[in-house]
Amino acid sequence: MSLFLWGALPYIAFTFFVVGTLVRFFYFERNWTTKSSQFLEKKQLRIANPLFHFGLLCVIGGHVVGVLIPKTWTAMIGVDDHMYHQGALYMGAVAGFLFILGFLMLMKRRFTTPELRANTSKMDVWLYLFFTLAIVSGMAGTLLNASGFFDYRVSIGPWFRSVLMAMPDPSLMENVPGIFKFHMLSWMIVAIVFPFSRLVHCLSVPFNYLARPFIVYRKRDRR
Amino acid sequence: MKIKAQVSMVLNLDKCLGCHTCSITCKNTWTNREGAEYMYFNNVETRPGVGYPRHWEDQEKWKGGWTVGNDGKLALATGSKTNRLMKLFYHPEQPELKDYFEPWTYDYETLIHSGRKNNQPVARPRSLVTKEKMEIKWGPNWDDDLAGGEHARSDVNLAKMGEDIVFDYEKVFMRYLPRLCNHCLNPACVAACPSGAIYKRDEDGVVLVSQDVCRGWRHCVPSCPYKKIFYNWETNKAEKCVFCYPRLENGLPQICAETCVGRMRYVGVVFYDMDKVEAAAASKNDTDIYENTVDLILDPHDPEVVKAARAEGIGEAWIKAAQKSPVYKLIKEWKVGLPLHPEYRTLPMVWYVPPLSPIVQRITSEVYLPDANEMRVPVQYLANLFTAGNADALARVLQRVLDMREYMRRRDVGGEAPEHPIDLTEDQMYEMYKLLALSKYNDRFVIPTDIKASREGRADMQHKRGFACPTGGCQ
Repeated sequence: MSLFLWGALPYIAFTFFVVGTLVRFFYFERNWTTKSSQFLEKKQLRIANPLFHFGLLCVIGGHVVGVLIPKTWTAMIGVDDHMYHQGALYMGAVAGFLFILGFLMLMKRRFTTPELRANTSKMDVWLYLFFTLAIVSGMAGTLLNASGFFDYRVSIGPWFRSVLMAMPDPSLMENVPGIFKFHMLSWMIVAIVFPFSRLVHCLSVPFNYLARPFIVYRKRDRR
Repeated sequence: MKIKAQVSMVLNLDKCLGCHTCSITCKNTWTNREGAEYMYFNNVETRPGVGYPRHWEDQEKWKGGWTVGNDGKLALATGSKTNRLMKLFYHPEQPELKDYFEPWTYDYETLIHSGRKNNQPVARPRSLVTKEKMEIKWGPNWDDDLAGGEHARSDVNLAKMGEDIVFDYEKVFMRYLPRLCNHCLNPACVAACPSGAIYKRDEDGVVLVSQDVCRGWRHCVPSCPYKKIFYNWETNKAEKCVFCYPRLENGLPQICAETCVGRMRYVGVVFYDMDKVEAAAASKNDTDIYENTVDLILDPHDPEVVKAARAEGIGEAWIKAAQKSPVYKLIKEWKVGLPLHPEYRTLPMVWYVPPLSPIVQRITSEVYLPDANEMRVPVQYLANLFTAGNADALARVLQRVLDMREYMRRRDVGGEAPEHPIDLTEDQMYEMYKLLALSKYNDRFVIPTDIKASREGRADMQHKRGFACPTGGCQ
C-alpha cells in the first residue's frame, strides 16, 4: 500500500496531469477557458477573486521554497532551522489565511447566488471539495506543527524530489504524520482532475500579450 | 502604401422603419443558443434612448475605445497592458447580465397540462439563466418608440447637448438606430484581448473571435466602445457579430442586410491604406477623425491603387467589386455616410446616412423642403452621434441629401435652383437618387467571391455554428 501511495500514485497523477492536459489542449481547446463568472455576479467577486488568486500565488511560492529547495541550500545562505520554521509558520499562516478567506468568500458566492447555479458544473463542485480537503489538511498540518516537532524538510521534501528524479523512495514517507499524508493525497487528486476542470486556465496566463502588437491580423486560410 | 480590402456596410437611416427584422433574422441565425439568449449581434435602438446594453455610450463608465495621451500616442481607455493584466481576476468596467437584460421564457406547459380550473391558467415568466420564476423588469427594446420617456431623457448624447430637451408633443423626435459590430480598422477589442484570440481577417477585414484561442479573460467586452462583444456564460468565451462571413465568402450579404425590409443596407468593398490607420485614429481633435477615416479610403479606379492592390495579392474579383462598390460611392464620392461615434477612435467600418426628419412646425407653411437646421431632429443631437459633436459637418451631409431631393423635384416639376452652392453635380445627384431610392439587390450588395477553400465537412457544422466545443468534453 505504501509502495502504491508513495511510489506509484504520484506518477499516475503526473501522467493524468500531463497527458490529460495535452489532450485537452489539442482536441478540446474550444472549452479551455477561465470560466469567468463575473458576468453573472460582480459585486462579491471584487474582493474574493483577487484575494483568492494572490493568496494562492503566495501559498504556491511557499511550497516551492519548502518542498523543492533542499535544507542544505537554505543552510548555506545562513538560514537555520529555527529561523526557517518561524518564517514558514508566520508567512505561511498569513498567506494561507488570505487564501482561505478568498476561498470561503468564493464558495459562499458560488453556492448562494442563484445566477451562479447556471454555470456551476459538476466538476466545479468536485473542485471545491478537493480544494477544501487540500486547504484544510495543509493549514491544519501547519498549525498543529507550530512547535516544529515534525520536519517535513527531511521527509516530504526529499521524497517529493525523489519522485521528481524518477527514483521514488517511499520509505521517506513512513514516519510522516497522517495529516501531512492526507495533504499529499489531496494534491494528487487535484492533479488527476486538473485537465478535466477549469484549473487549466492557470497554464494560459497571457504573458505574451505584453510583447504582442495591439492589432492582430490573420489570414483566412493559413497555408 | 499598404493596401487592404475591407468589407463595409452603409445603413441609410432615412429609410429605417424600426421593424427589427434584421435583429430577428440575426438572432435566429446566430444567437438562439444557451448562453447567448441575451445577445443581439444586431439590435435596433430608438433614439433618443439608453440603447443596448443600457448606457453603452457612457465611456466614463465603461472606458471603451481609445484615448490619445499628451505624447500623441493611442492608448486603450481601459488602461495599459500591464495595468490590465492586473485586472484579470476582476475587471471593474465589465458589464453584467443585468446591464443587458435577463432572458426569459414562459411556462407554456402549464397552459397545456393544467387541470380543470375556475380561472384561466397563466404561463408565468421563467429566467433562462437561473431557470427560476422571475419578474420581468427590463428586456430588449424596453424603451422602443420612446416608451417610458424617462429612459430617453437619460440618453448620453442628449446630456452632452447641455440643454433640457423638452418632451413637448410638438418638439418630440425619434429615429431608429440599427447597430452591429463595426468591424473597425482600429479595433479596441482586438487590442485588448490578452490571449490574441480576436483578429482582423487579412482578406476582408472581418473581426472574429477564435473560439479555440479565447480563454474568457473578457477584456474585449469593456474595451469595445459599442459593446458589441458578448460574454457567453455557458461556453465561457467571447462572441461577436461575424459579419455573416460564411455568407460573405459565398458572395451573399449579411443576413441582416439581406432581410432588411426597408432595403436600406448597402454592402461593398473598400480599399484602405493600412500604414495610415494609426495616425488617422491618433488625431488630436475628435472632430478630425471622420475626415481622416474618409482619407484612408482609396480610389479603386486610380491605376496606382490598383497596382498596389495587386502587389498585396488582392484578387481581380475584389478589385472589380471595389470599383463597383456602393459603399465607396456613399462614403467617399458623395460623402453622405458617417461613422457612429468616431470619437471612440476605433475607425468603424459600418457607416450611416443620417436621417432627415419632418420640418419644424414654425416654418412648414413657408417652404416645401427645409434646410438641415430646420428639421425636427436637432442637428446637434445627430452630430453627437455621428461627427463627434461637429454640427457643421453633420449639417453639410444632411444638406447634400436634401439637395438631391430638391434636384429630383426640380427635374420632375421644374423650378429654380437653390441659392446656396451645391457640392455635387446633377449626374452625381441622379446617381445618388437611384442608389438610395431604386437600387436593386445587385446594386446594393456588391460582394466578390473567390472561394478556394474546400467545402468538405461544412455540412457537419450546420446548426453548431462553431461556438460550442464540437466534441463536447470537459469543463
